[in-house]
This record gives sequence, C-alpha cells and structure tokens, in this order.
Amino acid sequence: MIRVEDVTRAYGEVRAVDSVSFEIAAGEIVGFLGPNGAGKSTLLKMLCTFLPPTAGRLAIAGHDVVSEPQAVREKIGYLPEHNALFETMRVRKFLRFMGRARGLAGEELERRTAWVVDAMTLQEVLGKRVSECSKGFRQRIGLAGALIHDPPVILLDEPTHGLDPLQVVAFRDFIRGLARGRAILFSSHILAEVAEISDRLLVLQEGRLCLDEGVESLKTRAAAADKTLEELVIETVQAARSGASPA
Amino acid sequence: MSAAPREGARRASWPRAVGIVFGRELSAFFDSAIAYVYLISALVLLSSLFMNEFFLTGRLDMTPFFDSLAPISIFLLPAVTMRLWAEDKKTRTFELWMTLPLRPGQVVLGKFGAALALYALFLVGTAPIVIMLESLGDPDLGLVLSGYLGAFLFGGLFLAFGTFLSGLTGDQIVAFVTSVLCGFVFVFTGHPKVIAVLDGMAPGAELGTWLADHVAALPHYESFVRGLVELPSVLWFVGLAGAFLWLNTLVVAKVRS
Repeated sequence: MIRVEDVTRAYGEVRAVDSVSFEIAAGEIVGFLGPNGAGKSTLLKMLCTFLPPTAGRLAIAGHDVVSEPQAVREKIGYLPEHNALFETMRVRKFLRFMGRARGLAGEELERRTAWVVDAMTLQEVLGKRVSECSKGFRQRIGLAGALIHDPPVILLDEPTHGLDPLQVVAFRDFIRGLARGRAILFSSHILAEVAEISDRLLVLQEGRLCLDEGVESLKTRAAAADKTLEELVIETVQAARSGASPA
Repeated sequence: MSAAPREGARRASWPRAVGIVFGRELSAFFDSAIAYVYLISALVLLSSLFMNEFFLTGRLDMTPFFDSLAPISIFLLPAVTMRLWAEDKKTRTFELWMTLPLRPGQVVLGKFGAALALYALFLVGTAPIVIMLESLGDPDLGLVLSGYLGAFLFGGLFLAFGTFLSGLTGDQIVAFVTSVLCGFVFVFTGHPKVIAVLDGMAPGAELGTWLADHVAALPHYESFVRGLVELPSVLWFVGLAGAFLWLNTLVVAKVRS
C-alpha cells in the first residue's frame, strides 16, 4: 500500500532523508520513530505529495506521488505535524468542507460526518469555532478531517501531541480498530507509545533508516539480550550514528 | 472511538471543486470582520465622494463615482487579496490546501472568485445611487451599466494580480504594499500628466506613451466610463487577469515543491 524506494530529499548540501526504502502493506500499523530533525516529517510530507523527493520513488496504493499526486491525495488521510486548521471556521462547517473537498456529498457526507464526530467525540464542540477549541480537541478535529473520506492509507505526524493520557489510550484503541484493510504510518517521539500501537517500527536517524523490524521481534531480542526495548532501540540508533552495525 | 467500514474517496469535478473553495473563502471573509469593514468603508467613502460631487454639479450621471473608484481601488482591493495566500502560508493551512485532492488551479480560481464576489457585493451596494438618480430624473442607464461593467473588469484585474502577489509571500503586509504599488503602475501610467512627464524624461523613447498604450488600465477603464464597451478592452482586462491567475497557479504548484 505504501512503497518507498531509495528516497532522498536534500536541502542544498543537507540530506534530510537519505536513501530510505520500506514497504507497508494493508492492515499494517507502522510507527515512525526518531529524534527531532531525523527526517520523519519530511518523509511524511513527501508521501502526502507536499514535497517531491530529490531522488527515488514513492507510491501510495500503486500511484506515484510525483506523477499522480491527485490520485495519491484521494487515497490518503494526512494529519500534519502542526495540524493547521481554518481558525475562524466552525467545527461542523470545517468537517463538511473537508468531506466535500474529498468528493463526498449528500447522504454520504452526512453519514461520514456523523461517523467522524462520533469516533472523535466532537459533539460538544461542533458549534464552536476551531480557534475556541482546546489543543486536544483541535488534534481530534484534524484527525476527523483526515479520516472523513475513509482513506485506505493514513499518515499521521505526531498524532497524540496535545492529547491527555485518557485521550491517548482512546486514540490507540481507535487506531487499532482502523487498521483492518488500511496501511497506517504514524510518527512519534515516544517509543512506548509506538510500541504499544504498532506492528512494526521504523527508526530514522539523521535521515537514514537505521531500524525496520517488527515490534514482537524487537521485544524478543530485547528480552534475550536482557535489555529493555528502549535500551535496544537507543543502542541501535547510537550504532547507526557511529557507523557501526546495529545491535 | 470505534472503527467504520472502509470506503473510497472521489475526485470532485472542476466546477464543484472551485465552488467548494469559493464557499470556504467567501465564508472566511464573513467569519472575520474583513468583509464588513471592507464593504462599509468602501461604500461610505465612495458614496460620500459621489454625493459631494453630485451636490456641487447637480448632474444626473455616475461618471464621478466611477472616476473616483479607480484611484481608491488601489488601496481597497489589495486589502481584500492580501490575506488570500499569505495567511495560509503564515498559519500553515497552505499544507492543508495542497494535500487535499484539489488542483492548484481550482484553489486559485476559488479564492479569486470569492474575492471577486465580495467586490461584486460592494458594487451591488452602490445601487441606491442609481435608484436615487433614477428617482430624480432620467440618467443614461446605458452609461451607468457600461460603467459598472468597466468597474467589474477593472476590479477583477486588481484582484487577480493581488491574489498572485499574495501567493508570492507569507506576509500580508508585503502582499498589501506590493499590490498597492502594482495598482499605482496600472492606474497612473494612464494619467495624462504622468505620460507627459515620462515622455519628457526620455523624449526619443516615449516611455510614457508606451506604458499608457501597453500597461495602463486607466484608458481601457475610461472607455467603459464614457459608455464605450469595446471588445479589445474587455479582452485586455480578461486576458491580463487570466494571465495573473495562471501565474498564481504556477507559483502555488512551485511553492509546494
């Protein structure tokens, strides 16, 4: 469903993403981990067609992001890192706008709007302007807008940012429920959160992919080495930074 | 939170997609104070100027209104267009626009259309002047309609280059100032005194005359105000506005990459 082949994105001499390759199948939830500036957001921006790659190829549901951007945008639900929303719009109006922009109309638009409102528990803010909503609600409004057209590929950049612990738990359950038939790629700084939700972990370090492994396999390896999952991942990142082979 | 059965997204048709953007942008004008401030200030200012002239001359025609509209548009129309793209870039909603399944051209047309609709609403708001003139005597309605057509086309051009210039920056003040400067060029290169001064500066080159013939919007606009609806002038306004919108589309697509 998501295919990234030897992708590089350079800003002058700096390679924000450097020769990264991976694939994500339908039904997979993949967590994207890495420190600030590792290239996570840049890669997600390329997948959602906002940035073109300097080299390599990215495809979503068989559509190339450079030559078929329109087809790609129809297939994705994207929540950007800063989750910019139209501040003066009322939440109900914003969701309907997002649905219509994705080709929904009539009864289907009503049904999908009702579904995202229910799924994100937005009932109490529907009549409010976006600017009047709390950070947690804003994040859920952004997520609702990204999911309203029921996309087969979901790209989320720091989706739990601004959510309280209860909302984070609800979000995990929600994402797990969504996974059937969909490919989900989400980025985070928090290993525990990623390990809790994901089937697989991708770790980026200075633009390079230094770990691509199933969470269960990582947990088994960590247990065998008498380490925590966090220690194992940190060791891998440090090994990548120093140029040694990963643990 | 619960999961729902998965369905697919569809692509909106061109007119529908433009309409969706148009609706969102027009409501954005009215969701904030922009539309109200713009409409009220423009109507009060231009109506006052017209009424002053009307009481001085007592003539039953709208020529003074259309004459004052051109220089005042230099400031009024950039106030509408300055936010169209610059605000999206500043608030990062530009990324939202560019990751929706909409073509850059559809977003550009929708934004421009919303600005044009607001301007058209202002022109409709001046209808009491026409009604007053009609009730006082027998003004030349052909001249009035021709003037309105010219004002609409003139405003369309200003809004088109304002939208384009807003797309070049993330700062609304920069968008406003550059649009005002551009407006000055379009209006004052057609002013007889400016033409004479520029021609005098370089007698052989006749820069003033060249600018008046090729760049100035004023001569085209004034032909409408005088009651002449000429196809070349219509095409000049529509063509130039279309060129700015096309450039805006290219810039938006380029900024994305």
